[in-house]
Amino acid sequence: MDEKRHTSTHYEKELREVKQRLLYLGALVEKAIELATEALVDRNTELARKVICDDNVIDQLDVEIEEKCIRMLALRQPTARDLRFIATAIKINGHLERIGDMAANIAEKAIILSEEPPMKPYIDIPRMAEIARSMIKESLDALVKEDTALARKVRMEDETIDNLNEQVFRELLTFMMEDPKKIHRALIIMQISKSLERISDHAVGIADMVMYMVTGKIVRHGPTCQASE
Amino acid sequence: MGLMYARQIRSELIDEIKNDLVAQIRIVALLAKGDIERKLSPLADISRSRVTLIDASGRVKADSEKDLAEMDSHLNRSEIQEARIKGQGEAVRYSRTLGVDMLYIAFPITEGSEVRGYIRFARPLFEVKKAVDQQYSYLYKCILLAIIPSFIIAFLLARKLISPIEKVISYTHKVCSGEASGTLLIESNDDVGQLEKDINRMVREQHERVRAAYEEKAKLEAAFASMAEGVLVINNQNRIEFLNRSLKDILRNEGIADILDKTPLEAFRNVELQDALDLFRDSGGPVLREISLGQETPIILDVTISAVHGLPQEEQKTMMVFHDVTRLKKLEKIREDFVANVTHEIKTPLTAIIGFIETLEEGAIKEEVTAKKFLHIISENAHRLGRLVDDLLILSSIELGEITLRFESISIANVIDSVLPMFETKAAEKSLTVDKWISDGLPFIWSDRDRMAQILVNILDNAVKFTPSGGKISISAVQDDSGFVVVKVTDTGMGIQKSEIPRLGERFYRADKTRSRELGGTGLGLSIVKHLMKAHNGSIDIESQVGRGTTVSLAFPINRLQKA
Repeated sequence: MDEKRHTSTHYEKELREVKQRLLYLGALVEKAIELATEALVDRNTELARKVICDDNVIDQLDVEIEEKCIRMLALRQPTARDLRFIATAIKINGHLERIGDMAANIAEKAIILSEEPPMKPYIDIPRMAEIARSMIKESLDALVKEDTALARKVRMEDETIDNLNEQVFRELLTFMMEDPKKIHRALIIMQISKSLERISDHAVGIADMVMYMVTGKIVRHGPTCQASE
Repeated sequence: MGLMYARQIRSELIDEIKNDLVAQIRIVALLAKGDIERKLSPLADISRSRVTLIDASGRVKADSEKDLAEMDSHLNRSEIQEARIKGQGEAVRYSRTLGVDMLYIAFPITEGSEVRGYIRFARPLFEVKKAVDQQYSYLYKCILLAIIPSFIIAFLLARKLISPIEKVISYTHKVCSGEASGTLLIESNDDVGQLEKDINRMVREQHERVRAAYEEKAKLEAAFASMAEGVLVINNQNRIEFLNRSLKDILRNEGIADILDKTPLEAFRNVELQDALDLFRDSGGPVLREISLGQETPIILDVTISAVHGLPQEEQKTMMVFHDVTRLKKLEKIREDFVANVTHEIKTPLTAIIGFIETLEEGAIKEEVTAKKFLHIISENAHRLGRLVDDLLILSSIELGEITLRFESISIANVIDSVLPMFETKAAEKSLTVDKWISDGLPFIWSDRDRMAQILVNILDNAVKFTPSGGKISISAVQDDSGFVVVKVTDTGMGIQKSEIPRLGERFYRADKTRSRELGGTGLGLSIVKHLMKAHNGSIDIESQVGRGTTVSLAFPINRLQKA
């Protein structure tokens, strides 16, 4: 989008602005996951509340970006590359907003968990969060660089998270069987784990859209879906 | 002027011929008409003219040259008309037959007052033509003679004028393309010389200015390259235009590379940085913010955003200066933690002591069993305080360099053997297996025996404390390739998180905050080890896996003298 110039500099500016806002949203979302995990691990309720509160900013930005995209579709009637970019932007925007919600969810769970005694130190959850966050980072890097190889890499990493999610599930199951008092906490942690797994799925969604933007092919529901079964 | 002269000559000559002819024609006109008619040809010969006799009605009566039959009425000829009216007529007409101007002079022949006819003399103006032609040819020659040298002179003059200008042009072209060296040679003192002087001065000044600019640029680049702060310049298109080496280094450690020509969001995707930039754009004033960058080991940067001054409005650039304050922040945190820890560590045993003393005072002293139990707790806590103060004293004296190490050549096997028995009871209580493996013929190390023992005690103490019942502790000593004896203490304990390891040497830093204190540690053990290892010129390396165990490697330099 950036290499070729449009005759209308205003149009050009609008496209660039959407990309910048999208990246800003991405940065906010990455930060939200980081802080939510930190709040969970450090049992920091204040930080957790901040994450929940900051989700409003993410939601507002989501609306702003979508409106910008739709206005451009209506007024500029983009074609080819620009059309793909805007379609991609709309979908990535949706993914990012969902990720933001997940982060807020994790923060809510962190508050609940902080009211109960700690079960054991978190090991896999921060790892999952870290991987999920780096997947978002890489998928957005792929968007910036229009790098399909990087986008494909994100798809591969999803498996790691899925495996970790299963591992967490099994571990928590043993905790629950050992001590019924731990069931409540274990279930909440399971939901957190599930949220992180969902985040990674959204990251894959972003990467897929980047692939679509660059190549024009929709690669969603690709062979990895069957392979992971 | 030549033309005027030719015309004057012509009219003068014509006048002369005319006067001549008029004189002749007057004489002839005195003759009788018949006489004239008879003596026409001699008359023509004498007067060197064509003589025509015309009667009063205009009919040609006789002509010295032409056949009468071909001639029409001459009454309308201007010279005849003039002669009829004025008594004498004249005209100059071009004769096609002769190809020359003819001068016609006509005179009336009168008998009394009556005009009987006219006599006309016509003479071709050969002389006049010749004279005029000659005059013209003179003129042409003169003009030619004048023009050629003047051309030559003009050419020479122009060359003289143009050649220095051409020289100047080729010189300035060379200056423009940057291949000129030296100055223009000044050859004259006139305007061109002045121009050459000015150009020389201009070029000299230009060179000076360019040199100064280059120097300034080199200075700036050197300054940017050598300064510890990272510098980044964003152009008016919000794209990164420049970054210095320090910033490249800082960012490379965080896995951020290749950011030229990207927007700050594309390059960093950092909310704090973008917010700071937005604030700068809104406020226009310089903005100072603290941001953290990177994921696994984030760095903290102080960012100053300001405008680059001295540029036109449409080329506004923004400069960001990054100052790495990670270490500073860390030290600040350590100091804060230290104060908090010291007070906490001192306060906990003190609270216990004070609490139990108060209980005793309130009557518990009377119950012997309880009193004894309480006194025991008080004494335990007092000892703990004592240990804490001892450790702090050791630490501060090592840090201040007040402890003098008495270095000697010692065998590490000896020290290990002397230390291990101290843990036998504790290990047996937790049913821990302790393995020892010391390779044969280990070289001596240069060390202080007591401090060496203290190092091993602290490390082994940790291993025993943090290994659950039934675990295994192994201690080994080998010589490595780089001239160190490496003592390794491995346990199957709870392990330490990777992110905690760098902080382990900090005073009062505990990886597991609750457990460690329960186990009676002061939080200073590893700190002391770290400092002692430093004093030994050795190094300490900790590897750990959570839930699996920890390995502490101590590397002591070998005593090269090998004396016992």
